[in-house]
Amino acid sequence: MTAAGPAGARRPAFRIEPYVQFAQKAMAREATYRFDVFTNVASVLVRVYLLRMVWVALYARNAAPSELPLHAIITYSAVALLMGLVMDIDQTRLLHDKLHDGSIATDFMKPIIVPLYLFADGGGEVLFHAALIVPSLLLALFIVHIDVPGPFVLAVFFLSCVLGYFVGFFVNFIVNMIAFWTLEIHAARLIVTWITDLFGGEIIPLVIFPPLLQTIAFALPFAAMFSTPLLIYVGVVKPDRYLEVIGLQVLWLAVLAAVAAVMWRAGARRVVVQGG
Amino acid sequence: MTAMRRARVMAGVYRQYWRINLLTTLEYRENFLVWFAFTFVYHGSAIAALWIVLNRFPSMNGWTFRDMAFLYGLWMLAHALHNTLFSTVGDIPDHIRDGEFDRLLVRPLDTLFQAIATPGQVFPDELILALVTFGVATWFSGVHVGLVFVVFVPLIVLGGALIDLAFNLFISTVAFWFVRVDALRWIVIQLEQEFTRYPISIYSRGVRLILTFAIPFAFMNYFPARYFLHKAHEGAALPPAVGLLTPAIGVVAVALAYVFWRFGLNRYSGVGH
Repeated sequence: MTAAGPAGARRPAFRIEPYVQFAQKAMAREATYRFDVFTNVASVLVRVYLLRMVWVALYARNAAPSELPLHAIITYSAVALLMGLVMDIDQTRLLHDKLHDGSIATDFMKPIIVPLYLFADGGGEVLFHAALIVPSLLLALFIVHIDVPGPFVLAVFFLSCVLGYFVGFFVNFIVNMIAFWTLEIHAARLIVTWITDLFGGEIIPLVIFPPLLQTIAFALPFAAMFSTPLLIYVGVVKPDRYLEVIGLQVLWLAVLAAVAAVMWRAGARRVVVQGG
Repeated sequence: MTAMRRARVMAGVYRQYWRINLLTTLEYRENFLVWFAFTFVYHGSAIAALWIVLNRFPSMNGWTFRDMAFLYGLWMLAHALHNTLFSTVGDIPDHIRDGEFDRLLVRPLDTLFQAIATPGQVFPDELILALVTFGVATWFSGVHVGLVFVVFVPLIVLGGALIDLAFNLFISTVAFWFVRVDALRWIVIQLEQEFTRYPISIYSRGVRLILTFAIPFAFMNYFPARYFLHKAHEGAALPPAVGLLTPAIGVVAVALAYVFWRFGLNRYSGVGH
């Protein structure tokens, strides 16, 4: 979207600095809510403990699934919760707030690319929370043992995580853009959150779903957010399937990005038509 | 005499409170439907998650999906009763922050009562859903519906709702000192949600003691469910009949929270508007 062409007298050339500034401002803003930081880390630790006890209790009395021994499923849950610190952030929530109070109109007048501005603002928040993973991980190691795969698997896992993050970004962006039409979307957002939690494999690995539900879950975009990187991490998805699962993530990313682009154009026009 | 009069005034205010709630709900119908869909998905996905796990692992410390459905239904009913009657208590910190709360202080009715009866968009949809869920779960789990059940379950549900209220009120009282309490509320909501879902016998001794004596979520559903499902062998330190103590625990918890509330209210001097 570099619209700085010959007609760029009124449209200045694209510069990245303002967006870096937006991200830095968002980071500083997040850092002021110190108690929330503490809450986030504490809540992850409580859930790591809880899920460990749940899986221990379940594996103690039942036959374990061959592909996921106890240590693998505990690793899965712990890594999922740490990923959640970043993945669960609704990066474009700002859009909803701005549509609500009308300040989106002035943003459209500024010489910025509004979606990129939203992305940068949320990006600061994401980077700040990504930093929380380190202390959370160190503290979690007191509660559980986390398996660590080899460097190649780890590298593919990180790649898959980044793709999963962007899939999640577009899912949230699409939900927030509903606010162009209805304004009140708090409930819709929560519904998507709960569905993502379940069908994304954040709490329960999709491979232990019953067959039919498993087929459905793997066919939904939510699986690309949590399940794909996590199954790579614990080795349920073997290297010979990497191309297939990563390719599917890229496909979902492309589809959701296209939907988001169409919605944005229609939504932005609405704002202009309504007179801002 | 004055007590009688005041009770009549309060009953009138409370009736108006519900009238406004229902009218508001009727006015914003789409909004209501979306929130109802959320309530449905929230409880539906929780029960689905239990079913998926227990479909693959049929027993959790001797509890089957049928038992867990009853455990969940009991919690859901108490929680929904609280949300229907007392969710407004959770708005107190917002009122303190924007100064609205100070208006309640100068009116001639009990402050807490006024806070509870501040109209919003409350509708007993979650409660209705919870009653249906609990009914199905009771039938499904094969719990014997005898005299003890009929007499005690309503009391236990009320007691569970009071335990919820005690925490809600406690957190709102903290707002007299620390204006922002969203994070604290989030922690407690999450703890309650996680620690009422499974039988507490799966946790270590320390956590079980905390859930029994310090933050008694185990009395909302685990102990009563253990009694009705005859799972007496578990947590053998306490006899099964402690499951019937929930109403008393609820009253004590709310009394403690109320004392703390009065203490905070007497020291409150506004946030500087």
